Amino acid sequence: MQANLVNFIQVLRTHDVRVSPAETLDAMDVARTLGYGSRTRLRDGLAMALAKTPAEEQVFSRCFDRYFSQSLADFSLPPAADEVADETASEAGETNVGEPSDGSADDSPGELEAAAEQSPALAELLQSQLMQNLLNNDRNALSVAMTTAGDRVGLQQIQMFTQKGQYTRKILDELGEQHIRQAVIDLESANNPALAELQRYRDILREQVRDYVEREYLLHAEGSNRQFMEDILSKTRLNNIERHYLDRVHELIRKMSRKLAARYARKLKSNKRGQLNMARTLRRGVAHDGVLFNTYWRKTRRHKPQILAVCDVSGSVAAYAKFLLMFLYSLQDVLPKVRSFAFSSHLGEVSELFQEHPLEKAIELVNWKYGGATDYGGSLEDFARLALDDINSNTTVIILGDARNNGGDPKLDIMQTIYQRSKQVIWLNPESRRAWGTGDSDMPRYQSACHFTAECNNLKQLERIIDQLLKSTR
Amino acid sequence: MNTLDFPQLASVEEIERGFESFGYICSPKIATAVYLAFQLRKPILVEGPPGVGKTELAKTAATLLQLPLIRLQCYEGLDEAKALYEWKYGKQLLYTQLLKEKLGDLLQGATGLAESVERLHEFGDIFYSEDFLEPRPLLKAMQEEKGAILLIDEVDKSDYEFESLLLEILSDYQISIPEIGTIKARIAPMVFLTSNNTRDISDALKRRCLHLYIPFPSVELEERIVRSRVPEIDEQLRHQLVEFVHSLRELDLKKSPAISETIDWARSLLLLHARELDEELLHSTLNVLLKFEDDIETTEAEMRTLLKPRSRA
Repeated sequence: MQANLVNFIQVLRTHDVRVSPAETLDAMDVARTLGYGSRTRLRDGLAMALAKTPAEEQVFSRCFDRYFSQSLADFSLPPAADEVADETASEAGETNVGEPSDGSADDSPGELEAAAEQSPALAELLQSQLMQNLLNNDRNALSVAMTTAGDRVGLQQIQMFTQKGQYTRKILDELGEQHIRQAVIDLESANNPALAELQRYRDILREQVRDYVEREYLLHAEGSNRQFMEDILSKTRLNNIERHYLDRVHELIRKMSRKLAARYARKLKSNKRGQLNMARTLRRGVAHDGVLFNTYWRKTRRHKPQILAVCDVSGSVAAYAKFLLMFLYSLQDVLPKVRSFAFSSHLGEVSELFQEHPLEKAIELVNWKYGGATDYGGSLEDFARLALDDINSNTTVIILGDARNNGGDPKLDIMQTIYQRSKQVIWLNPESRRAWGTGDSDMPRYQSACHFTAECNNLKQLERIIDQLLKSTR
Repeated sequence: MNTLDFPQLASVEEIERGFESFGYICSPKIATAVYLAFQLRKPILVEGPPGVGKTELAKTAATLLQLPLIRLQCYEGLDEAKALYEWKYGKQLLYTQLLKEKLGDLLQGATGLAESVERLHEFGDIFYSEDFLEPRPLLKAMQEEKGAILLIDEVDKSDYEFESLLLEILSDYQISIPEIGTIKARIAPMVFLTSNNTRDISDALKRRCLHLYIPFPSVELEERIVRSRVPEIDEQLRHQLVEFVHSLRELDLKKSPAISETIDWARSLLLLHARELDEELLHSTLNVLLKFEDDIETTEAEMRTLLKPRSRA
């Protein structure tokens, strides 16, 4: 059972539930204390030790049900009457397979037995453990056989759904299905009436094994597949990501922002305990004849960073704009004081749009309102008019855009002013660094007025940049 | 704590019964959590929406075991001086002033600075001994003779730094004080932490605890709770009001009514000698259940549809 529990925890891990070794030990203790008598109690107990958020608890109970409730595979023949007869027969006395114990029953074993006299392959098959179990509908023995076969072929390593057929085949071979196949071929060539019967047994076996593989696949592979997908997605260039993955990407961005938000949540003023503010303590002590009755401790004050984010939504970056806006949107979720702006030919503030509308709607509105041909110079002028007064030494300005200005006036002087006034200016460019400065790109000139520039066209890069950003705004 | 000392905690069923006798109706899950916490000597982190009885759980456990309940209410800015211990600075100062004269006697006959310091050393660190230590809730829980129930309430309201402070206490039931050394708990207290999920608790803390999530109860369970708390109320009305509260929880409200509010409401209906829920009665008592003007407005708009299925039943 211990090994079983460890396997189960492995399954939980592939489904994104983080379980530490210490928690594994706890789970063992829980199982030992509660015993295996009551299923729901054990489940509740294990959930307390292993799943630490409501979301994880949901995953946990789904996995628990799947893992521990693997009901015995059902090998009974489809017709119900048959099954009952089979079972009573097997219980009454199964030593003589050929002898029908009940007259009313469909004596299928008898038919096979009769056929066996003509086919040596079938006769041999009937003696084999597998066929005996099938004939007697010994579900226990068959389930056990299937599980051991699965272990032997390494079913737990199943990764992709394309491997399902392969594993099914392997398990069938391991179980000795080829004998049945051989017998079927024999009977077919002999045109024996027992053929249909045997084929039915074979089909049932195959179906059960297929189900078993499917279940194991869901347990072991589904989780790791999702991790795999997310990994791939986060490394793909944003404009190459297919439309139907957008939801997943959105989820990724949100995940990222949650992670960052957790790290960012901290108080603004903290007492540095252990460091006495000597000057203040002495000064206050004067009133008590120099006795230092009240002590004062040093404090540090952290400033709230203020972020102004500006996003280009023009045609040249259309493919990226959606992601940049998505990023802006989640940034506004994460950080307390973010003002967002969007521009192409002119610029305007979109913070309120983001606050009031859900993501898709907000992006649509922004595109509709500010889409068009790019004019960096004019937009910078707009920006200066709207926000320059608010820029101080606590402000971080993030600009998202390709700096392709259609040959217009870059208005570098405004950028310079922003550069001098703000704490830092960050420019994220979706184009690769090699393309900067080619054609109508003004990037090298703007670069001179930025503290930090980076190429940003996939989620990995984006995450790294935000991380850096948060560190520097500390 | 030993199992023998507390027959109330001998099995899950026993716990369920014990809690019920003190008016706390708990689901098997909650009872299992208490049983495990006791057997494995692990703290329980209780999460759930406000008002489902997280704090009440610890209180009832204290009554059941007849142990003192030591409560630490967390808030932003809570630090070790308020949670763990503090030096009695005033007392230290007062004593040094009073003992000033004694100092002369002590140092009499000492020649040179080195010898004086030597003599002072013999004195030991009397000013940094347990006599000058002001125990705060966490330290107090460690010092209780017979063990205690330690309730760390709303741990999510505290700062990250404070969480790390808890780690030593929760895993080893000990506190390190630099000037004295490590103080180990005489008897490990039973610890309940509650959280309203306003922020994520760190993994390190979660790892040390059993995690218990208490959701809003089912209709049957809530009826049992109301029955045990307000036994005088008419059965039909009880059923009606619990059903109504449940349908309220399905609405999109700022704050859904919790169990404590259901109980309050049941009490006020009892005071008003109500026999049946009707629109007029709801109008006048809705403010017991809902605490936001917006919520009350939303509910009043939906009142008819909310009441309809109930009148049929």
